[in-house]
Amino acid sequence: MNVWLDAILILTVILGLFIVASTRLGTMIQILGLQSLILGCAPLFMYAQDMELYIVLVSLVVIVLRGFIMPQFLFWAIRHVSLRSDVSPLIGAGTTLLLSGVAIAGSFLLASKLHFPVKISSDILIPSSFSLIIMGFLLLVGRTKAISQVIGYLVLENGIFLFAILLLKKMPLLVEMGILLDLFVAVLVMGIVINHINDEFKNMDTIQLTTLKD
Amino acid sequence: MNVLLLHLAILFVFPPLLLGSIGKTKAFFAGRIGPPLLQPYYDILKLMQKASVYSVTTNWIFRAAPMVSLAAVVSAGILMPVAGVKPPVQFGGDLILFVYLLALARFVIVLAALDTGSSFEGMGASREATFGCLSEITVFLNLTILALLSRSLSLSEIFLGGLSSSWLQVGPVLILVVVSFFLVLLVENSRIPIDDPETHLELTMIHEVMVLDHSGVDLAYILYGKAVKLFLFGTMLVSMMMTFRTQDLWVDTIFFFFEMIGFAILIGVVESTMARLRLNKVSFLLFSAFIFSIFGFIVILVRGAHP
Repeated sequence: MNVWLDAILILTVILGLFIVASTRLGTMIQILGLQSLILGCAPLFMYAQDMELYIVLVSLVVIVLRGFIMPQFLFWAIRHVSLRSDVSPLIGAGTTLLLSGVAIAGSFLLASKLHFPVKISSDILIPSSFSLIIMGFLLLVGRTKAISQVIGYLVLENGIFLFAILLLKKMPLLVEMGILLDLFVAVLVMGIVINHINDEFKNMDTIQLTTLKD
Repeated sequence: MNVLLLHLAILFVFPPLLLGSIGKTKAFFAGRIGPPLLQPYYDILKLMQKASVYSVTTNWIFRAAPMVSLAAVVSAGILMPVAGVKPPVQFGGDLILFVYLLALARFVIVLAALDTGSSFEGMGASREATFGCLSEITVFLNLTILALLSRSLSLSEIFLGGLSSSWLQVGPVLILVVVSFFLVLLVENSRIPIDDPETHLELTMIHEVMVLDHSGVDLAYILYGKAVKLFLFGTMLVSMMMTFRTQDLWVDTIFFFFEMIGFAILIGVVESTMARLRLNKVSFLLFSAFIFSIFGFIVILVRGAHP
């Protein structure tokens, strides 16, 4: 068994737990950056035996884009709206943490029932990917500030990336790059939307949006 | 026989030195000289020479508690391998006895605190009991993982070589166990992010508030029992992390001393660099410890302990 890959996977899930458990936006973004950085190294360890140039390239792009550029961008966004913490989440941090624990157990259960056509290099890869996806969902539904929902979306996306690196050999480089570009644009658009919400309504609580009427 | 004496000597003599090293580390961070390294020994000796004062509202529970508590902690120590030395008593399933002896020590102190009739001490007792039952489940889960990894239910087999191959096979799981155990250790021994062992006057303290009415020999017993408990938890943490042992007895013992001093310095660093958590955040920290160990447990179940 590849101990280093296991360590990376477990570390990403733990960092996911940290993100879910914290309400301070700066900390969440920092941990998200660290998580993406570690995740970016996963393909290198996974395909250590038959390394090819584009695998290194994908890793590098993920590390730079998700590990450094996106956190910088999110930091810029919270500076711009001068917001420091998500004070009134719909689901409290403790409950979310507990639910994440249940989610981790559930994803291990689910993954043990699934059969994959490709050979999987670590049997905790699929469960950790599922757990990250569910944690991202929990952040998306549990928080009220748009910026923490963006963070939740990125955690979810990290989970999907973990799933996608299984198919790295079969998927052309172009598709991978397309996903990254998509994501980058999405974050950019969301950042701008957040700022516009903030400019128009003086706060960026998404709960308020449901009460808007014509 | 010699080995047995060595085990007992370390168990009885070493613990207060840990408190001294923590004090020195904290003093270093604060830029002070700090109390001498052996200060806890002086404190305990001084208290031994003093007479105890008993409130008229207390009965025999209050007088018995410090003795029962110390006895329980020391009996737990007799089950624990120290410095690669086999403990005097060992049998299959002694890890359950170990945890419950520590629980008994806590229980009698809580009873004694309630016995004083002071509402202040009752509050501390309530807190201690709450955090105690939250941390116990995590301790058990961690011990379950270790038992699965070493295929043994005896502390001496787990910590004397049972884990040596596990770091290579399931290292990440052991890291989870170590982190989770360290968090529980801070709670169990009322160290800083949870409780401040220095203060006596704040409403947020947990352990110290329960022993306010004890004095003289009783307080010495409680102080010493606390040191032994910290020593036992530290030994467990260190034996989890450092599975390598040379078979030479004296080299191992010297290594063990350095490891334990390193552990004390680590606690000192944590105490110097962190502020105390708000009381309602403590359960949150215990939740995280619990989830770490649950995660490790699930991975072990899926992967199997010996892949």
